Amino acid sequence: MNHLAVSLLSLLAFTLLVLSMDRHQQDLLGHELPASQSRILRRGGWLALLASLVMAVAAKGWSFGLVSWCGHLSLSAGVVVLATIAWERRKAVK
Amino acid sequence: MTASENKKTKQTGPRGIRQTMSDLHIWAGLLVGWVLYAMFITGTVSYFKEEISQWMRPELAHQRVVPDAAEVAPRVARELQQLAPDSPQWSMRMPDERNNVVSTFWRAPSTENGRRVFGSAVFDPATGLKVDGRETNGGEFFYRFHFQFHYMPVLWARWLASFCAMFMLVAIVSGVITHKKIFVDFFTFRWGKGQRSWLDAHNVLSVLGLPFHAMITYTGLVTLMMMTMPWGNSAVINTPSDRQALQAQMSSFLPAPKPSGEKLELAPLTGMVQQAQARWGTHNIGNITVNLAGDAHAQVTITPSEAGRVSHSPQYMLFNGVTGELREVKDHVGGAAETRGVMFALHLGRFADTTLRWLYFLVSLAGTAMVGTGLVMWTVKRRSKLPNPQKPYFGFWLVERLNIAAIAGLSIAMAGMLWANRLLPLALDKRAEWEIHSFFIIWGVTLLWAMLRPAKRAWVELLWAACAALALLPLLNVLTTDRPLWHSVLSDDWSFAGLELSLWALAALHALLAVRTLRHQPKSKPQPRFRAVVTPNTEDTQKAAP
Repeated sequence: MNHLAVSLLSLLAFTLLVLSMDRHQQDLLGHELPASQSRILRRGGWLALLASLVMAVAAKGWSFGLVSWCGHLSLSAGVVVLATIAWERRKAVK
Repeated sequence: MTASENKKTKQTGPRGIRQTMSDLHIWAGLLVGWVLYAMFITGTVSYFKEEISQWMRPELAHQRVVPDAAEVAPRVARELQQLAPDSPQWSMRMPDERNNVVSTFWRAPSTENGRRVFGSAVFDPATGLKVDGRETNGGEFFYRFHFQFHYMPVLWARWLASFCAMFMLVAIVSGVITHKKIFVDFFTFRWGKGQRSWLDAHNVLSVLGLPFHAMITYTGLVTLMMMTMPWGNSAVINTPSDRQALQAQMSSFLPAPKPSGEKLELAPLTGMVQQAQARWGTHNIGNITVNLAGDAHAQVTITPSEAGRVSHSPQYMLFNGVTGELREVKDHVGGAAETRGVMFALHLGRFADTTLRWLYFLVSLAGTAMVGTGLVMWTVKRRSKLPNPQKPYFGFWLVERLNIAAIAGLSIAMAGMLWANRLLPLALDKRAEWEIHSFFIIWGVTLLWAMLRPAKRAWVELLWAACAALALLPLLNVLTTDRPLWHSVLSDDWSFAGLELSLWALAALHALLAVRTLRHQPKSKPQPRFRAVVTPNTEDTQKAAP
């Protein structure tokens, strides 16, 4: 249960972070967002990352929590990259 | 990666740190890349070595309930005392949720040419007898191969593994320096752009798993540091008592005391195991080691299992082997030893629960792909500059062919060992060794194939062969055992079912690679190089190779 929560939070975090970047806004949304919105997205992303860390450590302690947090970060970031690739490929095919 | 090209186009100023690091990264990576790839992939599957071992011993029924170590230990001990009488030390690893056998090893009473001789056997916890089934090393082979290879002296092999791991560390550090835009390019993957896509894939695989890659490489070096960096110890540790104190900080395998010569029966293990269970939990017993069984100076050491504890530093309870009385409890070591213990445990990942083990496996697989993409990129980058791609120079030819055998061929060889496990006759002499020989024979054949066929066809053919070898394994299991996949799923046997479903997932991955390779049109003609010159942004020229 804790794994799922950490995983979802870090997934959310990387989704917000990818959406806060100009290049990916162009690719995913077709236009760039105003700087203020990007800033909010970026802060939200970092906050969600922090929250996932707190959650992992709170539930499993520093040793186990930190290790599993690192694992979830890598996996979630990978999922986000794959999702953006899939999204752009779909757009390219259309 | 392409910084060296940038250097050539600019031709001005001294070589910057990034160019130097890029060259270092390319050549350090290439030189040991094939060995690293093999170390990475065998290490990756070793996170599931218990499950692989279970699959390779189909005669042993699925273990529904973990047996009580207090009952198992005396059973196996009785057999061991007959199998290895007068052994100064024997040790048994208790079964747990992922492991349905008792693995034992013992030291022979005599030495050969001054060297200690060890024996080993695997026991069925239910009967206490040697496992009645095919002879196999199980997943243990991949684990051993990961750091000491095969067919060569263990010490030499570990030096080689350490050497390659050190190059890996160099490649990671120089790679991070070369890759200047880690955060900007964090999620960047540009599809269908040839070399740039390869570079993006390599970067994404490296950066997303960077915490793991750096950790696993560094801690890998730490696991062998006593061999590679002995000077600190040898400067301070001079007396036997010092050595004993050091040993006690590092390992729960205590040196055997001097035998008294007086024969006294070993006390029943049940009571000692129960004391250990009271301390660490019923299903948390790891190894039970007995020194001098049958002698008046016998001693018994019991350690907790490695699950749930992110440290490999020794913890044990030491008992008098004749009276069964508790002599010592060790539950902590000094700071330095604990640091080493934590790093060791981080590398082995044995503390992990199922989810975390899968994370270890997946990120480690990404690391394997990182090494693989790096190797392939070396050829992708140079192919476009070949004057005649049909007849490349020898170095290119060699790298390309070794890549094919090291990447596609290894998948076939690893799957091939599982085939051999099911197909070799049960009565075959030295059967367990022949399973391993099969692995190397198949690997050798794929290398021959890779050298004799045109490169692209060799890639596609071997990737499809790997796909078939992986995908058909569950079918082979249906035909050769009475434990088909549907039965495993219905009876909740997830070591079997999980492994076979994973084989299918890996087969799908190989099919995908085969299809992509087949469709791929290499850019063989020399490409115009103007792009790097007209692009005003110098940062872009780093990656604007044709």
